[in-house]
Amino acid sequence: MSEYLSILIFILIGTGIVLFTFLLSRLIRPHNPYHAKNLNYECAEEPVGNSWFQFNNRFYIFALIFVIFDVEVIFLFPWAVAFGQLGLFALVEMVIFILILFFGIFYAWKKGALKWV
Amino acid sequence: MDFPFPEYNLQYMLPEIFLFVWALVVISFDLLSKRNNGSTTGYLTLFGIAIAGLLLGLVGNGKGFGKMFINDNVAVFFKVIFLGAAFMAVGSSFGVMQKKIVNHRGEFYALLLMSTTGMMFLSSSQELLSIYLGLELTTIPLFAMAAFYKDDKLSVESGIKYFIIGAFSSALMVYGMSFLYGLTGSTDLAQMKVAFFKTHLQFGDMGIVMILALIMLAAGIGFKLALPPFHQWAPDVYEGAPTPVAAFLSVGSKGAGLIAFAKIFVDGLYAYHSPDMAPNDWGMLIGILAIAAMVLGNVLAIRQTNIKRMLAYSSIAQAGYIMIGMVALSASGIASVGFYLFIYLFANMGAFAAVAVFEDMTGSCQIKSYAGLARTSPFFSAVMAVFLLSLAGIPPLAGFLAKYYVFASVVDVAQRSADSSWMYWMVGIGLLTTVFALFYYANVIKVMFFSPETSPYKVEAPLPAKAVLAIGVIGVLLFGLYPEPILQFATGISSSLHFMP
Repeated sequence: MSEYLSILIFILIGTGIVLFTFLLSRLIRPHNPYHAKNLNYECAEEPVGNSWFQFNNRFYIFALIFVIFDVEVIFLFPWAVAFGQLGLFALVEMVIFILILFFGIFYAWKKGALKWV
Repeated sequence: MDFPFPEYNLQYMLPEIFLFVWALVVISFDLLSKRNNGSTTGYLTLFGIAIAGLLLGLVGNGKGFGKMFINDNVAVFFKVIFLGAAFMAVGSSFGVMQKKIVNHRGEFYALLLMSTTGMMFLSSSQELLSIYLGLELTTIPLFAMAAFYKDDKLSVESGIKYFIIGAFSSALMVYGMSFLYGLTGSTDLAQMKVAFFKTHLQFGDMGIVMILALIMLAAGIGFKLALPPFHQWAPDVYEGAPTPVAAFLSVGSKGAGLIAFAKIFVDGLYAYHSPDMAPNDWGMLIGILAIAAMVLGNVLAIRQTNIKRMLAYSSIAQAGYIMIGMVALSASGIASVGFYLFIYLFANMGAFAAVAVFEDMTGSCQIKSYAGLARTSPFFSAVMAVFLLSLAGIPPLAGFLAKYYVFASVVDVAQRSADSSWMYWMVGIGLLTTVFALFYYANVIKVMFFSPETSPYKVEAPLPAKAVLAIGVIGVLLFGLYPEPILQFATGISSSLHFMP
């Protein structure tokens, strides 16, 4: 039971710190909202129009293609760190893995997903 | 530091590897061939499935990846069923490909092959995590395939519905698995079984966590098998999805759920279903689900006017009959489950193939559009009638034997165990519902044969669909009269699921 008690204390202290800092900053910060401050943050650009409109669905396709590279790097990184011990077998496995992912790029390319018309 | 590699023995995984590579080949072929290839993509897929079957026969039994990938009798039996289901689904999809899915042939077949790969992995896995992975690889391509008519609202609805239900049930299942892991400290089914026997001998009772885990797992797998009360998605999904996909769902996905059930419950949790050890076991829970499936499926099917919805409810009821065999939990019970699924493959895939052929020609799935079909295309109507009668369980056909073996195995177990009156109730209700089942199957036959008007349609099936119908009819007739080879094949399953640690 005592192990669980320490977890409970951890949760309580963790929540408490967050609440405390919010409360503290609310007490000591100046309160001065104006129009420019209340706008959505758009990389310091002035936002135009409403954000509730239909996005071009190419954005989603691009996001998907990004995932291909992203996943690749996530798996390449630990592999590269441990490469010395893993040897040839892991190299072949990684090549197969990358080839399968590259097939995704090939597919997207052939389907015309990389063209922004 | 030396990193210990397990024994890979990749050769036992050859059929799966081949199927996956073949999926990429099919999709590349479709990309590069400028889409004027007619049905070549489909034939290429059929060829790949046949080669995978051949490889499966060649590799034999063995273990790979430590003990995580096992090719034993159960695995081979279910892999044959999955490959057969994929073959028949592809065979009945040629009409749909020509009319509706022209621009995405390669994707369709590649997704189907990947789903089959997932099912095959699932039937070889001997460990909770790889079971979960196999089940996900099975269902995720099926979400996309259910929504394959992108412009059809029903199809998209069925895809979304199946996706939400599928994700939810997977979450439930993996939660249940985490309990099992927490209780035993292992995800390996063999070690889990030993650990459960020890705790069971020590305490004699399950305890609340075990009950929670059982409920989670039963619900998760119940969703995949469409057992009531987790069945509501099935009719909508079957109705909206392309017919070959519905066929593949009804046999392939059901088979995947069954093998997962057999591995986790029958094998891993065996300690909690030995009649002389536990008063509160999972047998009765599954028995109640099976009774609910038989009653609800058969009664609701009577009111359906759409033949795909009718077949969906019928498949819910069939899942109930199959689960009876699982509850029996004897060697003959497991064998009867295998036999039932094998016959179900022929009868149900055949029935769906016939529906697909008719739908491609007329665009209708209503039962009333079948009126008077026997006058214009008597052969097609006779074939359809054979499939429906086999599903209903009429004697000379294989469906009768399948039902007979299932019921016989339960009665056999009930006679031997002490507290078994509920098993007799289950059998009684099951027998009663087969009468209801006969009513709606015979209704379609009545509409086709004894309707006064003459049908305006004359059925023309493409060659692969004809082949699928022929395979189905031959399977149903042949194994109805001569069931020994399949029985022997199915009895091999029980030798692989070891009942004692």
